[in-house]
Amino acid sequence: MELTPSEQDHLLIFTAAQLAQSRRDRGLKLNLPEATALISHAVVEAARDGKTHSEALAIGKSAVTQSELLSGIGPLLTGIAVEAVFPDGRRLVVVDFESNDLDIPGEVVRLEALPVSNVADVVTLTVKNISNIQISVTTHMHFFEVNPRLNFDREAAYGRRLQIPAGEHVDFPPGETVHINLIPISGDRILIGFAGLVDGPLDAPGMKARAMERAKELGYLDGGK
Amino acid sequence: MNQKDLADAQRDIAIHGARKGDFVRLGDTKLVVRVEADDRESGTETQIGFGKNLRDGIGMRSVRSEESCDVVITNVLIIDAIQGIRVSSIGIRAGRIVAIGRAGNPDTMNNIDVVVGSGSVIIPGEGLIATAGGIDTHVHAMSPRVCDAALSSGVTTIIAQEFGSFWGVGVSSKWALEQAHNMFAAWPLNVGVLGRAAGSTTAPMEEALEGGVCGFKIHEDTGAHPRTIDTTLAFADENDVAVALHTDGLNEMLSVDDTIRVIAGRAVHAFHVEGCGGGHSPDVLTMAGRDNILASSTNPTLAYGVNAADEHVAMIISAHGMNPELPSDVQMARNRVRNATIAAENRLHDMGVIPVTSSDALGMGRVDDTWRKTFSMASMFADEAILDGTVHASEVMDSNERVLRHVAKITINPALVHGLSHEVGSIQVGLMADIVLWPYASFATKPNMIIKNGLPAWGVVGDPGATVANAQPLIIGPQFGAYGVTAEDLGVHFTNVKSVTSPARRRSVPVRNTRTIRSSDMIRHGILGEIAVDHTGHVVTFNGQHITSDPQNAATLTRTYLL
Repeated sequence: MELTPSEQDHLLIFTAAQLAQSRRDRGLKLNLPEATALISHAVVEAARDGKTHSEALAIGKSAVTQSELLSGIGPLLTGIAVEAVFPDGRRLVVVDFESNDLDIPGEVVRLEALPVSNVADVVTLTVKNISNIQISVTTHMHFFEVNPRLNFDREAAYGRRLQIPAGEHVDFPPGETVHINLIPISGDRILIGFAGLVDGPLDAPGMKARAMERAKELGYLDGGK
Repeated sequence: MNQKDLADAQRDIAIHGARKGDFVRLGDTKLVVRVEADDRESGTETQIGFGKNLRDGIGMRSVRSEESCDVVITNVLIIDAIQGIRVSSIGIRAGRIVAIGRAGNPDTMNNIDVVVGSGSVIIPGEGLIATAGGIDTHVHAMSPRVCDAALSSGVTTIIAQEFGSFWGVGVSSKWALEQAHNMFAAWPLNVGVLGRAAGSTTAPMEEALEGGVCGFKIHEDTGAHPRTIDTTLAFADENDVAVALHTDGLNEMLSVDDTIRVIAGRAVHAFHVEGCGGGHSPDVLTMAGRDNILASSTNPTLAYGVNAADEHVAMIISAHGMNPELPSDVQMARNRVRNATIAAENRLHDMGVIPVTSSDALGMGRVDDTWRKTFSMASMFADEAILDGTVHASEVMDSNERVLRHVAKITINPALVHGLSHEVGSIQVGLMADIVLWPYASFATKPNMIIKNGLPAWGVVGDPGATVANAQPLIIGPQFGAYGVTAEDLGVHFTNVKSVTSPARRRSVPVRNTRTIRSSDMIRHGILGEIAVDHTGHVVTFNGQHITSDPQNAATLTRTYLL
């Protein structure tokens, strides 16, 4: 058979799924490894049957039903990744079983909404993307040094970043104008790297004037032209 | 909360994990912990990946690792017997924890404790719980595979008594011990070996010390006689090593009171103090609750279950070379199994009297079950508190103290008992970064990653040919830290100051302060008192009060997770 490590591993899916199936046939409720094996196995076999990726995904999602599962585990059956051999090659399928079951192991309960952080020093700017492709800016980027094809009051953005939750971003579609809020960068306010416009302590004497000078030289103040 | 706040909260939890004030249910148990603190700054949580803030100049500082960290575990829910229950980040350099707190770049973020370098390795911890690596002080390493199973269950330190399928209960041959140290170096696991305390004289023990043992095991199968106990403890006092004791179950030469008298106030680790695992029948449990006697349990009696007694009779006959056809052997086995002492033992754990849990792997316990059984037991008492209505719902919501007490039993307390706490046992600055990461949903039953000395050494790995690392079938097995000479470097060899042997690369670390440690020093334990077992073995009291617990039909952390 000349089985690769990956093929050998897939035999574990089959074995576990057969075991799970025999337990399901005896009327037992399925636990996490059993349900995961049945879902994975269903996807692999759907691919073998020549189904498409989306058909295999649907078959995986319906490989088990809520009533067949031990209480509470349905919501944990998410992100089940499995590789299967489709007619056009090996493909990854990620199955999220849909469940509204309660009493979930590992559940986090939050009783009160998070407090909204109040930053007093907020600058609101209007930003226009003058290019023909979308530009996106993330939370903690020094807004002063973003893509020169965004037109806005650069000086007002010196030492500031977007006021949005960490990990999020703002999209600037081509040709459009977007309003943003900027708040001061915190910590020791030392910016190293980026576009090299600052490359030092933001609040050192003369630093801002020098940064504006560099920005001008490099075309940041006139839309990158 | 209204519908929108609820949706926002769910999304926030999915991204950032639990925050201060949140309640987290541990696996499928009845244990719910309240997050006591969160070291992150709201709005500046460090995150890895596409469009996230752990990038050069933003959340990462462009400095060498000497000024930052080799490895940072970010935003993880630490559950540690000393730290408490908090969301924090752990900075690691050269295998040791160098900082715990808020992670990021102090150039652009406030109050950074853990400096993330532009070259630092990041292990994102959102949605995960970090505990110190488990310490199992009672391992019969009859098979090398016990090391695989230990690591797979979140154990990073073992105190072993054999190293092969031979009879040993401690080994004293210097030549054999030298081989052992080299063999154990194949796993990213800290290992100490107990010498056999079977000598009426100290000569075999002298040899064992030279061979690098970290302590001694007195076992009735090799003799737990008054002379052996006294000689061993005196020798241990001279050499600062721990002594583990399996007492005279037959009461052949001495009864439990005599054993206590011979110990004479000296520190001793009383293995399987309940007695199913062996020791004075029916009353060895009376050794617990005393300051100098450091009591531990082995895991099959924990989370007292309806099948515990039946299993033990079969186990005793099988583990101790007895013959099921021989009526006297069967009778001896039955004498060792008492529901009342098992029930009381569980209660003494919850009360904070018995401070340590262990396995007795391949010698009447399961090496990969200690985390599971310890927390299944904790859950059983949390459940009892709910059912009997002795606590209000608001108190039930928070099992923090109970959870931290049970974490101590498998981390810091065994470290203290065996003199390892200068290296392992807690998530503390200065200690080795032996850390287990558990999903909230499978805490104490199926770990996600076992970090040994700062590197992923074991954990969940998937289909090796896949496009992603998490494709089925997921198995818990060796990670890179288990390969090459790295495995040898990541573990330490616990030994004694008189050892003259050491493995080629692995660091040897003498144990410390084993002779002065007392039950009252045990973290989140230290409750002392007088335990009495009546002559039938059916009634146990603590300071005169009857103590017991109810056998469980179903244990948590088990059926949901195990194939």
